[in-house]
Amino acid sequence: MEEEKPKAQLAALIYGEIVYWGVLLGSVIVIIGSVLAFFGNNYVPASYWLSAIWKGESVHEIWKGATGALPMGHWYLAHLTTGDGLTAFGLSLGVFAVLPALLLSSAALFKDKDVVYGTLALIGGIVVLIAVLGIIPMPS
Amino acid sequence: MQREEDMEKVKKKNRGMIWGLLTSVPELTLLIVLIIAGYAVMGIFSKIQPTQVLNPTDMWIIIVASFVISTAIAMLAVIGGIGGGVIFTPIMLGFTHIDSLVVRSTGLVVAMFSGLISSGPFMRTKLADLKLVFYCGVPITVGALAGSVAAIYLHKYMGPVGDGYVRLSLGILMLVVAYFLVSGGGKTEYPQPKSIDPLSKKLGLNGFYWEASLGKVVHYDLTNAIPGGIMFIALGFIAGFFGLGGGAFLTATLNLVMMAPVKIAAACSGVLLAISNATAIWTYITYGALIAIFAAPWMLGQVVGGILGAYLLIRIKAGFVRKVLIVILLVSSIKLLMRGVEGAFGITLPF
Repeated sequence: MEEEKPKAQLAALIYGEIVYWGVLLGSVIVIIGSVLAFFGNNYVPASYWLSAIWKGESVHEIWKGATGALPMGHWYLAHLTTGDGLTAFGLSLGVFAVLPALLLSSAALFKDKDVVYGTLALIGGIVVLIAVLGIIPMPS
Repeated sequence: MQREEDMEKVKKKNRGMIWGLLTSVPELTLLIVLIIAGYAVMGIFSKIQPTQVLNPTDMWIIIVASFVISTAIAMLAVIGGIGGGVIFTPIMLGFTHIDSLVVRSTGLVVAMFSGLISSGPFMRTKLADLKLVFYCGVPITVGALAGSVAAIYLHKYMGPVGDGYVRLSLGILMLVVAYFLVSGGGKTEYPQPKSIDPLSKKLGLNGFYWEASLGKVVHYDLTNAIPGGIMFIALGFIAGFFGLGGGAFLTATLNLVMMAPVKIAAACSGVLLAISNATAIWTYITYGALIAIFAAPWMLGQVVGGILGAYLLIRIKAGFVRKVLIVILLVSSIKLLMRGVEGAFGITLPF
C-alpha cells in the first residue's frame, strides 16, 4: 500500500500562513514607503538618512542631527503619512507578524488540548511581546 | 556541438523553471513587478535633494544595488545552508565605516526575512516540526533579547573599543562558520539516538515527515532536550548580539545534539532563526538603530531571494556555492580580525 504524505497540523498552518502573508503585506508597504520617501515626503529627509549612514555617523549622531535625540520607541507610528515613517512601519509589520502567529498558534494548540506546546508557544509570544513593547530599560 | 546543445537544453529548462515558479507563486510575481516599478518611479521622478556626501543618483544606486545584492545573498545563503546575516554583517563591519549598530540591525533584517518568508512553505510541507520549533523557540527568544540589549549597552559604554572587540570576536566566529562549511559539520542524514532522555520523552519530541528522495514517510525521535535548550539560549544571544542568524550553528545543534534528521534540522533552523531575530530586532527598532530607508532594500531582496531560493535552487549543486561562501567568510573574517585588533587595542596595522 502506498504511503500518504503527512498533513500539517492546524497550529503549524496558522503560524506559517500568518508569518508568510504578514511579511508580504509588510513588503508592499515598504515599497510604497520607499517611493514616497524619494518623492520628498518624509519625517526626516531620505537624503539625510543615507548620507549620515554613508559618512559612518553613529546612531546617536544620526538621530541628534535628525530630531535632536534618540527615538526610544515606535516613532514611525506618529508619522505614517511620511515615506520614512511608512517604510519603518512596513518593516516592523513584517517582523510583528511573528507575534500574532505565535499567539494564534498557541490558541489552536490549546483548542486541540495540547497544553504543553500551547504554553510554550504562549511563552514565546510573551517574550516577543516584551521585545515589541520595548520595556527593557535602555541607555539614552 | 553536443556541448552547445546541452547548454541550450539547460537554458530552456531554467527558463521553464523560472516561468513555472512565477505562475505558481503569483504573489512573488506581483511583488517583483511592484519592486521594479517602484525603483523605476524612484529613479525617474526623484525629488530627493543632494547633500555634500551623496547626489540623488548615488542614493538611488545605493538603494537598487542593496536590493540586488540582498537578493543574491538570500539565494547564496539558501543554497549554502547558512543565514544571510553571516555574509552581510561581517562584510559590512569589515569593509565599510557604517556604524556597527546600524550594520547589526540591518544584519538582523538580512538574516531574518528569508527565514520568515520560508516559514509558510516549511510549515505547509511539515518539514518544520512545530513541537521542536516551539520547544527551542523559548530559549532562543530569551537569548536573542538578552543579546540585543547587551549589544546596545556595550556600544553605549565601550564605544569604539567595544566595537573593536565585537569585530574581533565576530572574526573568530566566522572562522568557525567557515570550518563548519568546509567539514560539513559532521552532519548525518538520519541520526539514530542511542537513548532518549526523560524530558524529551515527556515532551513527546518525535515526529514524521515525507522524505521525497525516498518516496516514503520517515519517523524520528529527538533527544537531549536540556543540553539542546541551553545551547539555544547561547545561539539566540549570538544572533541578537552580532546581528546575524547563525543558521549553520542552529542546524548543527538540531542535527548533532538533538538528533533531528538533516532536512528537519535545516527547515526548523530557518523558522527558529526568524523567531529569534524577530525578537532581537525590536530592541534595535525602538532604540532607533534600524534606519528603515537603508534597511528597506535589504528586506525586499531577502523576501524575493528567499522565495526564489526555496523554490528554484534545490536543484542547483551546492558544492561551488559553498566554496564561494568559504572564500567570502575567510576574507571577511581576516579583515574583521584586523579591524578588531585596531579598534580594541588602539593599534594601526600597516596593511
